[in-house]
Amino acid sequence: MLTDARVMELVRAERRDEAIALVVPAFRRRVFGLAYSFLRDREAAEDVTQEVFIKIWRALPGFDGRASLSTWIYTIARHTSLSALRARRPQASLSDPEVLAAVEATNPVPSDDAIADRAAILRLVDQLPTKQRQVVMLFYMESQSHEEVAAMLAMPVGTVKTLLHRARARLSASAGMLGAIA
Amino acid sequence: MTPSDSELDEHLRALFGGLDTGAGFDARLMARLRAETQTSASARATSARQQERARYRRAVLELQGWRRSMLRLLTLDAGIALLLVVAVAAYWPHVSHDAADIWHQYSAYITTLAAVLIAAVPLFGMWAELTRRSVGTL
Repeated sequence: MLTDARVMELVRAERRDEAIALVVPAFRRRVFGLAYSFLRDREAAEDVTQEVFIKIWRALPGFDGRASLSTWIYTIARHTSLSALRARRPQASLSDPEVLAAVEATNPVPSDDAIADRAAILRLVDQLPTKQRQVVMLFYMESQSHEEVAAMLAMPVGTVKTLLHRARARLSASAGMLGAIA
Repeated sequence: MTPSDSELDEHLRALFGGLDTGAGFDARLMARLRAETQTSASARATSARQQERARYRRAVLELQGWRRSMLRLLTLDAGIALLLVVAVAAYWPHVSHDAADIWHQYSAYITTLAAVLIAAVPLFGMWAELTRRSVGTL
């Protein structure tokens, strides 16, 4: 089982490969989600996720446990994502056909109406301010845990709740105006 | 018509709930990590070899420097001894009988003192060299 103490113990015993083998499955999805929330491009987010784990592997001997392992990993993921974002402007849009197809590919086969609704919602999410968009994506990716989203984005839980509330209100209003959701 | 919260939740969950890396991501990552491990081990070995070569070069240079300085000191020492012998030989006929008597009386002490002084030159030089080096390594 992955605990900070277990990872530090493995690193101290110079068993870095075993440590990273524990870390990757535990954090892969969340690191990818975080990268995706910044980059809005699946391929770029996968590249960044790989880069993040390579950086973690290199930096593991220096992990001293002052911050929790998750905080340390999210910090590396945020910095790497931001660097990648700066290096690749203009960015993709969530509502690009490729992105829509990629998102649909991750879900069970929906009906035509549902696809249309989701495409409309995705376009609306894409139009949200950056922080609100990130909070919405990570909140619904991370089993609706405010605390986890707050840790991933290095924000207070209250800020996450506020951003989420505003985003949902905005999405709801926009969807209503467009008649996107029946 | 404004969608209900539960409808919006359902759509957002459907959109982002299954967000994950594509198939084969873990295998690609592990391959990169393995390559990184090998690169890292190879880099460490190269670095260790370079450090060892640099240490050897430094040791050889230090030894050469030490030899040169010792040679300089011995040359200087031999020069001083030779000058002393020449000076004594040149002035000996002009030395008064009293001085010659004193020489005969204390010759053992005078010779020993001269020998100690001549031997002290390289010893002093070695001490100076060691001091210079220990200060240099600080």
